[in-house]
Formats: sequence, structure tokens, C-alpha cells
Amino acid sequence: MFHFKQLTEWLDAFLRQYLNEGWTLFVEFLLVGAVILTVYAVLALLLIWTERKICAFFQCRLGPTRVGPFGLLQSVADVIKILLKEIIRLNHVDQRLFRIAGFLVIIASLCTFGAIPFDKGLHAIDFNIGVFYLLAVSSLGVVGILLAGWSSNSKYTMIGAMRSGAQLISYELSCGLSLMTIVILSGTMQLSQIVEMQSTGWFIFKGGIPAIIAFVVYLIAGHAETNRGPFDLPEAESELTAGYHTEYSGIQFGFFYLAEYLNMFIIAAIAATMFLGGWMPLHVTGWDGLNQVMDYIPPVVWFFGKTFFCIFIALWVRWSFPRLRIDQLLKLEWKILMPISFVNIILMAVWVLLFN
Amino acid sequence: MITLEKIQSLLPFANAVENKGDIFTTAIPADNFLEAATILKDGGFDYLRDIVGIDNGESLGVVLSISSTEHPEAIVMLKTLTVDRENPRLASVKDLWLSAALYEREVHDFFGIRFEGNPDMRRLFLRQDWKGFPLRKDYDDNLEINPIPTENEDLDALENLPEIDVNSEKSFEKQHSIFEKEEYVVNFGPQHPATHGVLHLRVSLEGEVIKKIDPNFGYIHRGIEKISEVYTYPQILHLTDRLDYLSGTINRHAVCLAVERGLELEVPERAHYIRTIIDELTRIASHLLGWGCMCMDMGAITAFVYGMRDREKIMDIFEETCGGRLMANYSTIGGVMMDLHPNFQRKVREFIPYMRKMLKEHHLLFTGNPIARGRMNGVGKLSREDAVSLGATGPVGRASGWSNDTRKKEPYAVYAKADFSEILREGGMTFDRYIIRLDEIEESLKIVEQLIDNIPEGSYSAKTKAIIKLPEGEYFQRVENARGEFCVFIDSRGDKYPYRIHFRSPSMTLVNVLKHITPGTKIADLIMLGGSLDYVIPCIDR
Amino acid sequence: MNYIKDILLGIWHLMQGMYISLLNLLRKKVTEQYPENRGKVFPYERMRGSLAMPHNEQNRHRCTACGICEMNCPNGTIEVISKKEPDEVTGKEKRVLDRYLYDVGSCTFCSLCTVSCPQDAIEWSNDFEHAVFTRGKLLYQLNREGSSLAKKEKTEKAETV
Repeated sequence: MFHFKQLTEWLDAFLRQYLNEGWTLFVEFLLVGAVILTVYAVLALLLIWTERKICAFFQCRLGPTRVGPFGLLQSVADVIKILLKEIIRLNHVDQRLFRIAGFLVIIASLCTFGAIPFDKGLHAIDFNIGVFYLLAVSSLGVVGILLAGWSSNSKYTMIGAMRSGAQLISYELSCGLSLMTIVILSGTMQLSQIVEMQSTGWFIFKGGIPAIIAFVVYLIAGHAETNRGPFDLPEAESELTAGYHTEYSGIQFGFFYLAEYLNMFIIAAIAATMFLGGWMPLHVTGWDGLNQVMDYIPPVVWFFGKTFFCIFIALWVRWSFPRLRIDQLLKLEWKILMPISFVNIILMAVWVLLFN
Repeated sequence: MITLEKIQSLLPFANAVENKGDIFTTAIPADNFLEAATILKDGGFDYLRDIVGIDNGESLGVVLSISSTEHPEAIVMLKTLTVDRENPRLASVKDLWLSAALYEREVHDFFGIRFEGNPDMRRLFLRQDWKGFPLRKDYDDNLEINPIPTENEDLDALENLPEIDVNSEKSFEKQHSIFEKEEYVVNFGPQHPATHGVLHLRVSLEGEVIKKIDPNFGYIHRGIEKISEVYTYPQILHLTDRLDYLSGTINRHAVCLAVERGLELEVPERAHYIRTIIDELTRIASHLLGWGCMCMDMGAITAFVYGMRDREKIMDIFEETCGGRLMANYSTIGGVMMDLHPNFQRKVREFIPYMRKMLKEHHLLFTGNPIARGRMNGVGKLSREDAVSLGATGPVGRASGWSNDTRKKEPYAVYAKADFSEILREGGMTFDRYIIRLDEIEESLKIVEQLIDNIPEGSYSAKTKAIIKLPEGEYFQRVENARGEFCVFIDSRGDKYPYRIHFRSPSMTLVNVLKHITPGTKIADLIMLGGSLDYVIPCIDR
Repeated sequence: MNYIKDILLGIWHLMQGMYISLLNLLRKKVTEQYPENRGKVFPYERMRGSLAMPHNEQNRHRCTACGICEMNCPNGTIEVISKKEPDEVTGKEKRVLDRYLYDVGSCTFCSLCTVSCPQDAIEWSNDFEHAVFTRGKLLYQLNREGSSLAKKEKTEKAETV
């Protein structure tokens, strides 16, 4: 079984041969940063293409077909276009905040992105409060969105930002609570350990009914956190044209766009890590033949397979349902998801006491 | 039944009441105008169809077309006129019918008749700084008087309502404004993705909740009524497709029927059948788009694409037979332009089961959806009284329980031979307006199914003269288009051009409905309600 | 109890919707791939693409330059320019077509010209690719260079109509 751990450890040892501690870390940090930024950008392109293609297929269309085979280079062309576009300087906006907002959104998603364990030894940061860190950093994005809406000095963006504030802060709760359920089951907050613990069975199977409920709640709440699908109220193109980023143009808009897609990936990746075993292959106790076959599939493929499964569900939901109204949105969170999450935590505690 | 005697007894001061079929025409002196209107309103005539302005040369007049919901087959044309061309005044009937205020604004815009008592006498379609009244016969279209504007319209000019003091002799103008100074007013449109065209809504908000809206029209006004005054009747036909482009063939049918009635032309039975089938297919296409747009307004873009996909089948059928898709251009005076394509019947027969299957899918996809139901239930209540008073015909009125289907009330073409029911719902909620469209698709399929196999053989068009001159008189024809009652009013002076032609736009009243039902709802509801009313802006901006 | 029932019912309806969209994911796509299927998919023969004047093998058309189409056109799309020419047989001065100008940029495809033409000299063609870079290029001359009026033969008319 090949793990990226071998590669990263070899690299670490190789660097240490020639450099002292500080310089090794420095070079490693640089490498990690470069790799993460590249993967971030490439993933975003891939996701944009996937979304456009899947959305088109849901709608009986073909989607992009012109640039490259199956339109694969379409998002590359889009990036070139967006880089070449003029950044329109608006007169009555708060210039400083207006520029910072986009960066804040993208920094938040980048920080979260770094904590995702893609494979054994393939994550930028792994510390003992990993889940807590994920929740904390991912909610920074809302500040960027609020700033974008506020600083644009437009009525549409203002309404969009206010909606997004209400939405993100509410859904943060059930998001956290459903992850807490898994923390109860695993007993740790470190992501790498959570994945390791699923070698004998994914938590969604191990945790029984409470884990399944938590998984569904997390998918819904996480989906709402990404401002997409039926929860795209802050953008609500039929109501607020483009919501909080109405006034942005060129690459400044590109930041929001990129962050939106990556947030979708991050939410799916966390779901995969916490519930579906991360990069762990599917193991069924007793079926050694099957387990061996599964082991031949590289863990990275497992990770991305699971993540794209979650993304597909998100896209499926997004392209099937109408948008919620703001009161429905809050009702769903405070009257349905929150109580269910609380009950679910207790259920999980009982489950852990009974079966573990 | 409404008889000549009844109207005469109701209106003792009327000069003379004439009737042509069920249309009763009467002229009232301007002084008794409001009184006559009040008597009629109290006598059960609760539906004001339209107010048509006419420039008679030496005088300016208006024609009120009034009906009663109990006897919808009868129409009373209440006429009055004023000889003062400099400062024409007439009494406003805005307190009698909710729809009147908007109609009066239109008449004021084009003829300069000021309705005393109506505070909102802003221009409706033209810019506020326009000089002259375009539909008057002595209008000067010199570009020096009204140069092509190079600057945006001043929104503050929209804000002020000039009011005339009735009591004082001289007309000093007080200024009122629509919104308070401190209100949070957001412009929805004219370029907004969900206004279904270039409609401009100024919306006053309190957080997410709407306090008041003020619609503003005219961004694509093409002056079709004015153009038509120099067009021959066949030429007018091609403009009617471009009014409400989603029910273009039905509008065209109306003008054809009005002219045929004037010429007393015998239209072959085959043409009647073909027109009816084409009309119903248009209605299905329009309702599919209406359904899709409403879903899209609520955020379900996929449903919109499915609606468009099914509509495409109808467009293909049209293209094969009529040669055009959106602008089918098919009915002509005396019949239809070409005979049916040999494939037409086969394709329509194939379409009917396909559409039924897809309707089931549409219901599964959207009707049962708890999000959609949660948004539609209990929002946008339009009571029956309001619907009648606002003149909200078509599916919107029927969703409120007002039986107003012209196909049933005054059957034209071969609707009398088809067995179908008028869908009526009681609630008047957004959900009723949503579901009624899908139900009407089903009814239209039924009509098409009955007629498609029974199209009689024979000629598809009656012979007409090369130059069509309509005998002197007034001609009125109403049809049921996909949005409601579409009416044509032709005042002919025996020429090959109409002296005055007026189209009643069902969409205009629907925007008025929007104005009445939105206060208290949320922004998201405003968009959804717009979708549920399904207005088409080019029909308003004639 | 109602609370849980409502939630379950909601989920059931949501899943029905998701089933429909999944069904459509697997269905054949309806997109017309236009430039690729150009020439493979024929437009319907009645489609009004642009006005055309059919010529026969001897480069002859049927237009007598009577101007009825021009008169009937609501938008001034058609301009018939005629010239006087001596007739081949009788030698009298006769009005013949010089240029038949058609501005597709202002055409609304109302068919009044083709319907009213007493000679059936003009008809609709399926050519719908009108995109050009300047508006002036939308002005077409429909009669070909050197074409002349076809001799009145009833059989010819019956053939082509």
C-alpha cells in the first residue's frame, strides 16, 4: 500500500542531510505552501468544470464542449479571461475594505484546506484540535462576505451580506454539533487519528443510526455554509442579481468564485474524512479477500472518490430544489436541524456507552 | 340577462343606447359620467375591462368597457367626451374600480386627458419630461420638440405626483411624493434578471419586508397603437405577434376575428379548427414557460430548462407548419396563411402523451417539494373581489375563484365544440396560481386531442379583397390568451387604416395586482409573486 | 408526532424531486450542436430564413417589378428598382426589373410580400445565417446579374410552385 507518507518522510530526511533544522523547515514550508496553492487552484478549475458539466447533464444539456476535449480546458480559458478583465474602480465604495474582503474569503478557505488529510502524511497541519481548528477557520469567511456586502455601498450587496451573516452563523451550529457527534465516537479531535480509527470500519457504519443522522445533518448544514444550492440566499441571482459580490469585477470577483467552489470541496472533504473514512479503503471485517483488493486502490483515490461522491450529492441537491426563503432557512436550522443535532449527540453518547 | 331596456332604465340621461349583439354602446355627457359609472358599478357591473382614449378631431373622448361578472357575455361601452382640447378634464372613476387608476394614467399619457380625483397623473409609458401627447391626431413628432434623450430619466421626476386642486378655479399644482424621504427604496429593474423583461419596480423595504412598490413601465414601448394607425389591417397583424410574444398567435387571432366580424366574412370551418389547435398549443407553450419561469424565480433553474425542453416540441411543430417559431405569423384575415403541414397531425398526436408524461414529472419535481410548498402556501392572497376589481383575468383571476374564461363565456372559433372545463380554484394564493397553469395545460391537451382528429377538409382560407377596408363603426373582440382577456378595440372610419386601434393588455393589470398583494411579503416573495402572475412586459409596453 | 411525520414526508417529496433530476441526468441530451450538425439537420422547408427570388436555368426570374410587395411591406424592407426597356417582340417600352433590394436587417418575416406576389416571383429560403459585421451588408440584391423576366409559360409556374 503506497502512502504519501513515504514520499514526505523521504523528502524530510533528504533535506535534513544537507540543511540544519531551521532551513529544513523553511524549505518544507515553502514547498507545502506552493503545493497547496497549486492544488487549490487546480481543484477549483476541475470543480468548476465538473459543476458545469453535471449541472448541464441534469438539465438535459451538454455543458461546455468547445475548449478542449469535452470542454475540459473551459475553466482554464475562464481563468485567462477573468485575469484579463478590467477591475472596475467604483467611486463610492470603501476602497480598503472592498479590496480586503475578497482576500479574507479566500484566506479562510485556504486555511481550512490545509488541514484536510489527503493521505497518510499528506496534510499541511495536523494538530490535536483539528476539528476545532476546521470549524474556527472556516467561519472566518463570513467576515469577508459581510465586508464585501458592506463596503460595496450598494443596496443589493447589503441585503445579501445581511442574509449571509444570519445564515452562516446559524448553520455553523449544526455543522459543529454534527461533527461533535463523531468526536464523541472517536474520542479525539485530531484528524489523522480520526482517519486511522476508521481502518476497521468507517464511522458512518461504526456509529450506527446517530452517525447516519449526523452525516445527513452535516451535509445539509455544510451545504448551507457554502452558500450554494437551495441555500444560495446571499447570492440569490433572481432576487439580488449576485448578492454580496454584485459590485466586484475581474479577479476580485474571481476570488469569491474560487472560494465558493473550494468551500464546496472542503465541506465534502470534511464529510468524507469524518464519516466516510477519509483516505481509508473500504474494509469489511472477515472479508479478507475484499479488503486486500481494496488496499490495492491508492488511498488518495479513495479520498477523492469519497469527496467527489459528496460533491455530487451537493450538486444533485443544488440543481433539483428551489431556493429557501429567509424565514424557512432559519426555521430549518433552529427548529429542525438544531434539535435533531442535540438529540443526536445524546443518542451517540448512549451508543458509545452501549457498544464501545 | 342584460337587455337594452335594462341599461336604458339604469342610465336615464344617456343620449342613446345601441346594441350590437351583446355589446351595448352609450354616450354620456361628461357631467354625468361619474354618476353613470357609479350607477353601473352599483348595478352589478363590477369588472372594468379597459379605458380607451380616442381623439375625435374636435373632441377627446374615453370609452369604458364594463362587464358584470354575473353576465360576462354582455359588455357596456360607456362613452364620454370633452371638447376642451387645451385642458381636457374628466372625472376619475378610480374609486369604483381598483384597475381604473392605471388605465387613466395611460389615457393621460397618450391623450393628455386629466382625470380629476386621480392623484397619480404621472406619465405611464413615456418619460416624465416628454412634450405632447402622441396618440392625439395633431401630435407633432418633430425631433426638435422631443429630441432623442442622451441622459437617463431623472428618478426624482418619477417621485412627484402633481395634483390639481378641484375646488379652486386655477389649477395650481401641489407636489406629493410616492415614498417618504427616509424609506429604503431599492430599484428592481429595468435590468434585473427576475422582472421578466424591462419592468422597473421601485420597492420600499423594511429589512427583508416590502412596504410598498411602485411599478414603472415604458422601457420598451414601441407605440404599436400609433404605428397601427398608418398600417393596413394585414400589416397590423404582424405587430400583434409582438405584443405578448408568448401568446402571439392568440393575439393575432383576436385581430383577425375583429376584422372578419367587420367585413362579415365567412371563415371556413377548417381554418377555425386550425386556429383553435394552434391557439391551444400556444397556451401550453406559454404555460410551460410560465411554470418554468416561476420555478426559476424561486431558484430551481433545472425546472426552467425542463419547461423549455417541452416547449421546444411545440415550437418545432409551429416551425414546420407556420414557418416561424415564436412569431408563428399564421392567422390571416379570412383564415390561415398556409394549409397544415402533412406531418402536423402526427406530431401533435405524438406530443399529447409525451406532455402528459412530462406533466407528471413536473408535478413530482416541483409541486410536492416542501420548500416550494412552504414558499407558496399562504403568500400573496388575492381575494375574488380584488381580482374582479383589479381586472385580473386569466389564470390569476381563476385561481381566486373568478370564472372568467372567455373560451367558455363567449366561445369563439370552435371552442363551443370542444369538451373542456374551466379550472377554478378558491384560494387565491400563490400555490393556486401555480397549480392552475399545470391544470390548464391538461385541459388544453384535452381540447387539442378532441380537435386534432376532426379537422374538416376544405379550404383553409376565405378569399379577401386585395385592399381591406373596414366599414365605419367600432369593433370589439375579446379572446382568452395565456395571461387573460386580450381585447381588440377598432374604431374604423371606413378607411383601409384603423382610426384608432387599442389592445387591452392583460399583463398590465397583473402588474397592478403585484402592487396590491406584495406589501408585507419578503423580497424573495416579490420575485416569486411576479413569476406566479406571469406577466409579459412587451404586452404592457405596446 | 406531526413534527416527525412532516419531516419524513418532506424528505420523501424531496427524494421524488431528486429522482426526477437523476432520471434526466441519464436521459438523452437535447442540445443541438449547431455548427457541427450544420448540413445534417435540415430546417423545416417552410421556415422563413430569408427572402429569395428563384431563377431558372436560363437565369430568368418571374418578377415583373409591379411593386406590390414593396407596397405591402410594413417596414420598407423591400425596394424594387425598375427600368424601361424595349420589349423583344413588340418593341414597345416596358417596365422591367433592374434591382430588387431586400434589407434583411429590417425584415420582420411577416410573409406579406410572398403572399401578395401575383407572379410567385419571391419565396422564403431556409438560409438563416444572417450574421455579418456591418449593417450595410444586410442589404441584399435578390435578382442575379444579367437575369431577365421569364417568358409567360403556365407550365413553368405549375412546376415550381
